[in-house]
Amino acid sequence: MRTKTRIKRFTPLERLFHLCLLLSFLAQGSTGLARLYIETSWGQGLALVFGGYEACRTIHIYVGIFLLFFFVAHIFYLLSKINWKNFPRCLFSPDSILPRPKDIKESIQHVFWLLGRAEAPKFDRWGYWEKFDYWAVFWGIPVLGVTGLLLAYPLVATRITPGWGLNIALWVHRIEAILAMVHVFTIHFFIAHLRRHNFPMDRAMFEGSVSLNHTRHEKPAWVERLEQEGKLESVLVPEAGAGKRALFLLFGYCAVAIGIFLLIGGLVNSPYITW
Amino acid sequence: MWGTIGLLIGLVGLLVLMTLPGTAWAQGEEVASAIRRYRDHEVSTGYYEEYEVKPRRMAPLVEIPGVRRGLFPYSPSAAKVRIRTRLADSHRAIRFYQRARCERCHIEQTRDIHTVRANLTCRQCHGGEPIASIEHYYSPMNPIRRHAYVCAKCHEGASASFASFVVHTPNPADMATRKSFPILFYVFWSMVTLTVATFLVALPHAALWGVRELFIKEEKSEGEDKD
Repeated sequence: MRTKTRIKRFTPLERLFHLCLLLSFLAQGSTGLARLYIETSWGQGLALVFGGYEACRTIHIYVGIFLLFFFVAHIFYLLSKINWKNFPRCLFSPDSILPRPKDIKESIQHVFWLLGRAEAPKFDRWGYWEKFDYWAVFWGIPVLGVTGLLLAYPLVATRITPGWGLNIALWVHRIEAILAMVHVFTIHFFIAHLRRHNFPMDRAMFEGSVSLNHTRHEKPAWVERLEQEGKLESVLVPEAGAGKRALFLLFGYCAVAIGIFLLIGGLVNSPYITW
Repeated sequence: MWGTIGLLIGLVGLLVLMTLPGTAWAQGEEVASAIRRYRDHEVSTGYYEEYEVKPRRMAPLVEIPGVRRGLFPYSPSAAKVRIRTRLADSHRAIRFYQRARCERCHIEQTRDIHTVRANLTCRQCHGGEPIASIEHYYSPMNPIRRHAYVCAKCHEGASASFASFVVHTPNPADMATRKSFPILFYVFWSMVTLTVATFLVALPHAALWGVRELFIKEEKSEGEDKD
């Protein structure tokens, strides 16, 4: 039996959520940008991959509806994860993804550490940047979903909003989508793949576990807490096989490549489209 | 010899070409749809907003940004513009109109999704000559019937509310939009502020983090391979 060197961090269902989100995010990004950039040859080539301008719309709408169902499923998952016996207090435990006052303190200390002015903060299970990423997506999906539904079904939508509401919905949808894409394709990819301690890739979200040695330094408070509660042994798992790891790496870098392609293409072509 | 004949044929061809009509004379008169005959059938009072097209409770929702309507929509400063919005022929007495293209004066109106992406021409919505002013009583573009006579040509089932979508969306970043479509202006700038603020914090944070980790080797636990 292989030695158990890694801590369980994500359940299979959580990894499935991330995988679905990843695939639909790239699909939405590509089809949406293909339509926004249809005046440029870059956008036309992108649209061709999905079968043209109109097909992009169909895919965008169906994947968007899937994402909304996915969001509802995630809400039910959250409700099932809450420890109702210990209800209001469990929301503020270190295992909870909800922001705590301590996150602000840690983020400030972390910035001082980045500048070499303080000790590295002792992070618990979730770092403030991870919580930020989670909540950005959490609010991004309903914002994009609601404005997207309004724009997808304008005849029905204008029964509840005046027609000029769609002008606003279009701009909210655009800016929110650009914010989400630029954030994921720069910040999220950089922190998960490129910074030295994670290079070439943080496999946590694919493998479901993180290296114990690595975590001792990055999330010391979490490991200490597990040790004090005597739970550390029970959450240790062996590392995935070499084939699986290669697959994770390949898949991760495919996603990065698509993201960088969309980011650079979008930036370079942005002066040539009618906004 | 053959060269001279070729040159002559070319010159004659050029002369023939010059007798042909221009390609861009206000896009011709080919559009003569049923819309033009609307006034022949019109028998109602025209007060659609009150009871014919939509339930009364919807009325407050179909105001149109930039189009001020109501009891006294006149002001001395805007009178000049407003009079043009109520003509039977909105382009009456414009010099050299016959040879002009729409975009000579309305270049801003050619930069929107309907024109650029759906490749609509002006006349597919605005109709043939004469183009009545938007507020003219019999105009198909009049907001009281625009949804049925213009939008519904493509968007079957369009309502009056639907027709209040601003097809020629103003540039939301423009200061002029603060007056003509304030909600769009403020929503746009709040979203841009949110985006810029996010990246002002997140980009330097990530960059700094990357640089910091370049200078420190990851600490290793005891017994771990030093690599």
